[in-house]
Amino acid sequence: MRLGVTLTPGDEAATAVAAESLGVPFVHVTGAAATETAVAATVVVATASVRIVVGIAIGDENPVTLAEEIAVLDNLSNGRIAVLAELGDLAADDAVEDVTVLRAAWSGRAIAHQGKRWRVPARLDGHRAPSSVMVTPAPAQLQIPLWVAGTSAATVSASLSLPAVATTPGDVDRAAPVAPGRSPLVGDLDTDRQAVVDWAAAGATHLLCELGEAATLDTLVRWLLPEVAMVAFPRVVADAPLPASWPQRSAPGSGR
Amino acid sequence: MIVRFGVGLWCLQSTASTPRGHVRAYREFLDDVRLADELGYDSLWLSEHHFYYDGYCPALLTAAAAGLAVSERLRVGTGMLLAPYQRPERIAAAAREIGQRFGGRLDVGVGMGYRDVEFDGKGISRGERVPRLLEAVRQLEESSADDTFAVLMGAQAPPGIARAGRLGHDILLSGALPLPVVRSLAETHHSAWIEGGRRRDRQPRVAALRNLWITSDAAEREAVLDWQRASYVLYQGLGWAVAESDAGAAMDFAGDAQQAIDTAVATTIIGPVGEVVDRLHEVADAGVDDVVLRISVEGAPQAAVHTVMRDFADGVFPVLAEPGSGR
Repeated sequence: MRLGVTLTPGDEAATAVAAESLGVPFVHVTGAAATETAVAATVVVATASVRIVVGIAIGDENPVTLAEEIAVLDNLSNGRIAVLAELGDLAADDAVEDVTVLRAAWSGRAIAHQGKRWRVPARLDGHRAPSSVMVTPAPAQLQIPLWVAGTSAATVSASLSLPAVATTPGDVDRAAPVAPGRSPLVGDLDTDRQAVVDWAAAGATHLLCELGEAATLDTLVRWLLPEVAMVAFPRVVADAPLPASWPQRSAPGSGR
Repeated sequence: MIVRFGVGLWCLQSTASTPRGHVRAYREFLDDVRLADELGYDSLWLSEHHFYYDGYCPALLTAAAAGLAVSERLRVGTGMLLAPYQRPERIAAAAREIGQRFGGRLDVGVGMGYRDVEFDGKGISRGERVPRLLEAVRQLEESSADDTFAVLMGAQAPPGIARAGRLGHDILLSGALPLPVVRSLAETHHSAWIEGGRRRDRQPRVAALRNLWITSDAAEREAVLDWQRASYVLYQGLGWAVAESDAGAAMDFAGDAQQAIDTAVATTIIGPVGEVVDRLHEVADAGVDDVVLRISVEGAPQAAVHTVMRDFADGVFPVLAEPGSGR
């Protein structure tokens, strides 16, 4: 199981840079509705390799607009974006429609969607417009990873074959090819170690870790990432005292 | 004469005449932002369209946030964000967040849009575009009341220009407009500003894109003008028909495209530094306070654009730029 870090609002870029330097494989950006991709853009330009899960509120804005913003981010980041569609309390059939349009917009196919909530294109009177539209630019990736969360996530997941983000290990779909979860970390090593072990044992593939005040990135990368990176991790490796800091040479050539 | 200088217009395309990956387009955009910031340009401007084959940037605030994050003093502007296509509260909230994070360096220029396919693709009736634009402006005004970001309006025809003036908003004019048209629109804006009376605390500012290149080389001059022509063929493809909104037959890309393209290309200020300075005096005399150099034209290699940015900063800023701004 891979662990990622949910970034602290207001301090996203700095935390992402630190996480990237420590080898955390992915970070998770949560912005207030409407600001998500702008905030994520600051993380994109501050980092070079870490994957970025962008939480984006679904339901109010036209999914075509959301898809365009994500496609721009994906090109800005050379294809490092994954999307967590936050469905909130959106009714299941409404959520299915929005996510369907979102996904279609990245597909490379022309869209002609006539639904209850959205018509793309709308075919309004007086417009000289084609009967379908292609959303551009295409994402940089061949396919943008798309996960769903919210009260209707299970229904949307089943309907559209998308990973739903579990909030407890008991909700993990062990048979799914991708089974993400999200969990707070409290900062107590034994508690947090047991938590990630439980998620891994349940079959989760990715865990979005929300660092509480006492939980640190250092703890995550030294103890928790290794714990779930193999079966029966030998804890002595992480628990042993760290070797001495590498000595700094006082001046070029001084070691000769 | 005192002017501020910006650079434009970043559209992040991969066109049939200049194919490149969009990842490269966005990487070069960030390089260009860093250079503009380093050289002391006042601003850099992005442009929006939708559903076009070349991937013309559809999400300006997302891209602007990235540009602001890699710069320190440069303002990044939307020229123009097509406001009717989104919910106004969404635009206002995003602009406020970006403005707060980057010390108010965001300029939100808003326009109405004109392509039927874009209105239809977004499910917005073209007939609603004026009220939707005005509601977006109202919410942006509220959201920027403490100067978290600046709001300005884009228009190319007298009714839109007068509307911006009455509302007390500065304007950014198209680079395709001949100087006499610019002068007339600047006067319209000024009169409406006085008439509207919403901003008695200061004079209106008129910004204008101008096609511009510094070179003494005859071959480069021909190439630049040819690529300017190509850039307007792109707008012909986008169905730009300004005459439809009452700007005059000269700019009607739908009616007589070749004449419109010739007129737009003829606006180009090109030559050695001294000649460029002389021509910029004429631009200022037409009522333009801020010039946005339209130098990010498809086809121009990034190295050539950077050379012009450097040459302009070295040769023109010392003569014309407002002290403390534009350099």
